[in-house]
Amino acid sequence: MSQLAMVIDLNRCVGCHACAIACRAEWSVPVPYRRNWVKRLGPETTPKGLAFTFYPGLCNHCDDPKCTSVCPVDPEEKVFTSKDGKTKKVSVRATYKDPFTGAVLIDKERCIGCGSCVEACPYGARYLNEELDDPKADKCTFCVERLAHNLEPACVRTCISGARIFGDLSDKNSQVYKIVSSGKAVRLQSKEVSIGPNVYYVGKDRDVLLLQKICTPHERRWENVMAPVRRGILKAAIRKLAKAV
Amino acid sequence: MRRRNFLKLSASACAALAALRLGDKDVFRPAQAKTALATPKLPGSLGAKEITSVCEMCFWRCPIVGKVKNGRLVKIEGNPNSPANGTRICARGNSGIQLLYDPDRIKYPLKRTGARGEGKWARISWDEALDEVAHNLKEIKKKYGPHALAFFDHGASAEFMRDIFKTLGTENYTNEPAFFQCVGPAALAYLKTYGYVTSGTRQYVDMKNAKAMLFIGTHIGENVHVSHVKEFIEGLQNGAKLVVVDPRYSAAAAKADVYLPIRPGTDTALLLAWMNFIITEGLYNKEFVEKHCTGFDELKKAVKGYTLQWASPICDLPVKDMKRAILLIADNSPHVSIHPGRHSTWYGRGDTGRHQALAIMAALFGAVGVKGGLYFPTPIKKGHPDFGCAEEEPDTPAKSISEDYYPFASTFGSPTSKIIEATITGKPYPVKLWGINGVNIIQTISNPYHTMKAIKKLDFVFCEEILPTETAIWSDIVLPGATYLERYDAVYTFDLMTPYLTVRQPVVAPMFEVRSSFWIARELAKRIGLECFNYNNEVEFIEEELKGAGLSLKELNKKGGIISYKANPYRSSKEFKVATEDGKVQLAVEDFADEDLDPIPKFIPTPAPPKGYVRLVYGRSPVHTFSRTMNNKWLHNEVPENHLWLNEKVAELTGIKDGEEVILENQDGYRSWPIKVKVTPGIRPDTAYMIHGFGSRSKQLSKAYKQGASDQFMVTEYEDDPFMGASSHRTNFIRIVRAGKVINLPELCPPPKDIPRFIPKKNRTGGK
Repeated sequence: MSQLAMVIDLNRCVGCHACAIACRAEWSVPVPYRRNWVKRLGPETTPKGLAFTFYPGLCNHCDDPKCTSVCPVDPEEKVFTSKDGKTKKVSVRATYKDPFTGAVLIDKERCIGCGSCVEACPYGARYLNEELDDPKADKCTFCVERLAHNLEPACVRTCISGARIFGDLSDKNSQVYKIVSSGKAVRLQSKEVSIGPNVYYVGKDRDVLLLQKICTPHERRWENVMAPVRRGILKAAIRKLAKAV
Repeated sequence: MRRRNFLKLSASACAALAALRLGDKDVFRPAQAKTALATPKLPGSLGAKEITSVCEMCFWRCPIVGKVKNGRLVKIEGNPNSPANGTRICARGNSGIQLLYDPDRIKYPLKRTGARGEGKWARISWDEALDEVAHNLKEIKKKYGPHALAFFDHGASAEFMRDIFKTLGTENYTNEPAFFQCVGPAALAYLKTYGYVTSGTRQYVDMKNAKAMLFIGTHIGENVHVSHVKEFIEGLQNGAKLVVVDPRYSAAAAKADVYLPIRPGTDTALLLAWMNFIITEGLYNKEFVEKHCTGFDELKKAVKGYTLQWASPICDLPVKDMKRAILLIADNSPHVSIHPGRHSTWYGRGDTGRHQALAIMAALFGAVGVKGGLYFPTPIKKGHPDFGCAEEEPDTPAKSISEDYYPFASTFGSPTSKIIEATITGKPYPVKLWGINGVNIIQTISNPYHTMKAIKKLDFVFCEEILPTETAIWSDIVLPGATYLERYDAVYTFDLMTPYLTVRQPVVAPMFEVRSSFWIARELAKRIGLECFNYNNEVEFIEEELKGAGLSLKELNKKGGIISYKANPYRSSKEFKVATEDGKVQLAVEDFADEDLDPIPKFIPTPAPPKGYVRLVYGRSPVHTFSRTMNNKWLHNEVPENHLWLNEKVAELTGIKDGEEVILENQDGYRSWPIKVKVTPGIRPDTAYMIHGFGSRSKQLSKAYKQGASDQFMVTEYEDDPFMGASSHRTNFIRIVRAGKVINLPELCPPPKDIPRFIPKKNRTGGK
């Protein structure tokens, strides 16, 4: 099965924040929300020496996404189409993992803006866009809309040092596959949070140690989302909305 | 209440609040939301109209493409046809949209109604604004002579207005802070060593093909020029070794193989000791030196006394580390990038010398005109339109404030410090009018208190500005300039490794009543009665420039807005010749000796911090340009304020905590605005660091105002480079004020006897 993935090379990254802004421009992400971000880490002492590096983060399009399972919207059948025209019918909520690309996406028409998925993500990769009159959850899509036009993701296109390597992990000729299968790349996961993120990082030992120390999630946030309670509230809201219309 | 917080509440409270919100009609806004979701046909920037142009969020000027949907600029990307950056642009380049649509922009011509600096204005017409500027230029020239007029400028668009000042006959028509507060000393050092400005607006250093690189204070990565960063990273990826010398662990230092945390102000000691080492150990390129250099014997003699053992306590570096670093470079020579640096106005005395030492070092390794070394520009042919600005007979002042003070100043213009001094004192002649274009002088020039004092003395001051900066609020008339996205400029040629020719052209129509710099200069010239600007508009002279390259604007646009050329950067030993008088690299500069200046650099110690203080240094954030971008909505959101980097041991001993907000007090008693402390092992204990450009004092910059502290307002002590008159910026010291209490900082790296201690102004006898 395909899985879109990104490898971020910290040896190349200079922490310039171009990725964060290109994404903001491409998808009109209002300040202060973000689909992706750069956090500046250090200088700090690590067991492997002094490190000063960056955490360019985005949605990890996880193997086992928790954001999709907390969505309170009733599942509906959705037909997915692959690049080569194959179709697959899957029952999905308002946010789901595309069975052909592995991208975790949001159906904006069906999203009720309850924010459950925002709360559930251990990486803080989602936000609820309250600038909209009808708030919706939003996040990185790996720019699948651009991929459909044979364009790379906006962050990859602008990356000044070529630090963002993007591709399909199922394609053995892809650079992402080569790097990930070499075992050199790390995923930001812990004993507590191990849901298969598909953004990988490579870099000097000291930089990776600092990144892991500061940015690995440990909180199983999805377990604190009180879905049943909220689902009731929101269903009521939807009923009232339907009546009003 | 924000939706997220709402979700964090307990279940019952949540239900209760939700019920409340359900009763609120505002909860349901389906109609608008549906339309928001329905548009447009193609998402994001897909399907937008594309116009090629040139960025000016900084002055590297990357080729770009503006993407316009429904008349609105939605995205900026790198021009895919650009051989330098391709589709890549930095955070600032991406954020040009927010300069264009900044609600704080100056929208109309303004006339000051309050006191200078108060920021009270009345909207006036273009006619009134231009008439007033023209009248003052004429009257002040008539009353005090042409030199009473002075112009401060930066950037391509300022060149048109510069022509007016030049035509009016003042010697003070080019006083670029870009030279006198930034690159001047480096530019002069390389000009005299190699006959061309290896480091000015551009740095001709082949990092992509280097086997090793040496940076002295250069912090590429935090200082972002896209193709320069790209080549640096490509070089590292190709396996180049990197030596970084910097009192701070910069983004570049973090990528280094050898990092030398040098004592600030001692770089030249290190360079001289290294030169002596490579000469005595025979590690220099004898063939290159013999064939292509003059002055080697003098150099050898001059550096003889400088040993690594001598430099060690001065630089506060172990001999073995200094040796390891230079051997790494020597082992990879001649394919080594001895980076020439850029911003070089650090300590005043010795700034030109430090960069001269770097220039000499490159020659000793033969790292010139070869892969990985310094390289030659590739000139690109274009036409040179004749603006017809008839210069009047130059009226030489009895005493020049340029060349009579500093022998090499006039290469660049008049030193900004001398113009400010003359404005305050009236000596050697009165300066009564300033024009300012493209530079926020109050956040750029050393000692802003002097700058403001001088402005108060002027008869008239005007500026062309985009945003209500400090400089704008101190001006009598403000002319609203067009951003780079709303105007044509000129044809740009790029003569580095990836040569190209391109043109800046408007991506959208000018907003409000803003006008292009060319239009403003032309209108002004007309009103002064100057014979100047023979073209009706920019397109006319751009066509003239393009004709010289065998092109037209239409053809250029058809070709993607850019033409690439083949670079000619290297020279064989047979071809090697530099543009000096004898065609050879000058290891000892006779022109300097002729002016009683050192032909070969000497180590001139810069005074060490007074007890209780540390030296203040500053640098760049990759998301900001000088003080120009702090009000940009997107960039402000990434890095809204600066922090003071303080060594962790110093913090521990004084009880200062990470994230704590403090005030800085400099050696002259000036205090900063509040700034948060970043406690880190990545800075020397005798040094503190902050990003330049923050702490805006203009209330009209709604996002930038009072965000962080201004390093510039801590720079009250400066001395001029004796060669070319640039003002120093790293000759100031700070201690910390916390909750009203002054905290003296402990001295953990006491200076050796060779380095005198700084004496505050009030304790000095004689001199300045």
